[in-house]
Amino acid sequence: MKKLLFAICSLLLFNSVSYAQLFKGKADASTISFFSKSPLEDIEATNKNVTAVLRTTTNDIQFAVPMISFKFPKPLMEEHFNENYVESTKYPTCIFKGKINETIDFSKDGEYPATVKGTLDLHGVTKEIQANGKIKVKGSEITITSEFKIKIADYKIQVPSLYVQNIAEVVDVKVNAILEPFVKK
Amino acid sequence: MKKIIALGFALTISIFSFAQDDLLDMVKDPNQKEPSKPVYATFKTTKIVSAQTIETVKKNNLDFRITHRFGNIYNSTLSNPLNDAAHNYFGIDNASDIRLSFDYGITDKLTIGIGRSKYREMYDGNVKWRFLTQTEDNKIPLSLCFYGDLGYTSMTTDNLYAGMVRPKTNEAHRFQYCSQLLIARKFNNWFSLQLIPSFVHRNFIKRQVNANNGKEDTNELFSLGIGGRIKLTKRVAIVADYFYNFSEFQTNNPMGYYNPLAVGFEIETGGHVFHVNFTNSVAILESSLLTTTQDSWLKGQIKLGFNISRWFAF
Repeated sequence: MKKLLFAICSLLLFNSVSYAQLFKGKADASTISFFSKSPLEDIEATNKNVTAVLRTTTNDIQFAVPMISFKFPKPLMEEHFNENYVESTKYPTCIFKGKINETIDFSKDGEYPATVKGTLDLHGVTKEIQANGKIKVKGSEITITSEFKIKIADYKIQVPSLYVQNIAEVVDVKVNAILEPFVKK
Repeated sequence: MKKIIALGFALTISIFSFAQDDLLDMVKDPNQKEPSKPVYATFKTTKIVSAQTIETVKKNNLDFRITHRFGNIYNSTLSNPLNDAAHNYFGIDNASDIRLSFDYGITDKLTIGIGRSKYREMYDGNVKWRFLTQTEDNKIPLSLCFYGDLGYTSMTTDNLYAGMVRPKTNEAHRFQYCSQLLIARKFNNWFSLQLIPSFVHRNFIKRQVNANNGKEDTNELFSLGIGGRIKLTKRVAIVADYFYNFSEFQTNNPMGYYNPLAVGFEIETGGHVFHVNFTNSVAILESSLLTTTQDSWLKGQIKLGFNISRWFAF
């Protein structure tokens, strides 16, 4: 009987521990933005509705990005982005699932360079990507910053020949997330 | 006992490995409901072809539109219609109506505009207010919008009262109005439909009688419009609209009154939206469009037309 109790306790403990190792992006403190630089037009869009999760024990890192939440300087750009390019009603969320390659001591304050490898699911296409970034630990807060490039043709996002001058083939993506320990409600 | 422990372990491991897969699911708050998302791009521009759409100009944006209707491509009522078609270059030599207009978005839901049409030298001011927007979760299944325009004709006094014993002239005679309720639904990515109950009031009309039923023309006119869009590709669509006029004067009139029907192609190219269309109506402004359509599709009295819309952001 004691062993059964032990088993149940360890199960519960394991479960709660696995939550304690989870870090979630603070509300409104995580942004993903992208820049498209082309001869005719520079386009920049920012998304403040990003879900970011990090598990410090396994180095797992994941992002969920609702495509419709990207904000553009011109409303017409936003409409075209959703309607013509990423097709947000068909593919509403972009998801990244990856792992941090380095071993990082998340209990110690400091700034650590890091690389991440994982899969990016965008516009119905899943592709392996790698990115370099920085991880900053300060108290219970973890800040993740990264910059990487995406070739939009890789994700079957088509640009009509008429707009080749307006939209870059490769867009720069910037990630900035501040994470805090996740408390299950 | 051993079995129970094994079971415990299995459970632990299974929960752990499940959790490992989807961290995003683990942090999801089951009590937090996703906010209703508004449906965007029910139509591409503020016009289907002749009719207004529920789309408004976005805040601080200016929509400059050139709307053009050529003359009849063909007219089977003439004695030598083929020669006439060649003579007028299928109507392209004539301009039935040309309207230049500017519409400005005060907010994302409220647009004001001014325009000037060639037909009856009409200056107009208009306002469009989107007061309900369809949501993706269908909590609000429709988008609703009010559109109103006020037209002022700058015709010379002689022309305004031409063919009649001149009554006491009055500047108020130059005004005409149209109010519409626009009811639209985007059914899916490629199909949108709209109903347009409309009411037109003209301050001044010449007295005319329908010889077939003895009904006089009236200052007021009720009409019900229907319009829609079928997208062929991401940037090309077929658009069409039709108005049914509830007018005893217009029905079975020997002078020939018809319901306006317009069909067109919509091509979007970045900041521009082009329409190439065919219509039997002469005028462009709503209050003129509904009351003055005297050409028929069945008699070949179809006009080539185009709309160009260009947005400027401030």
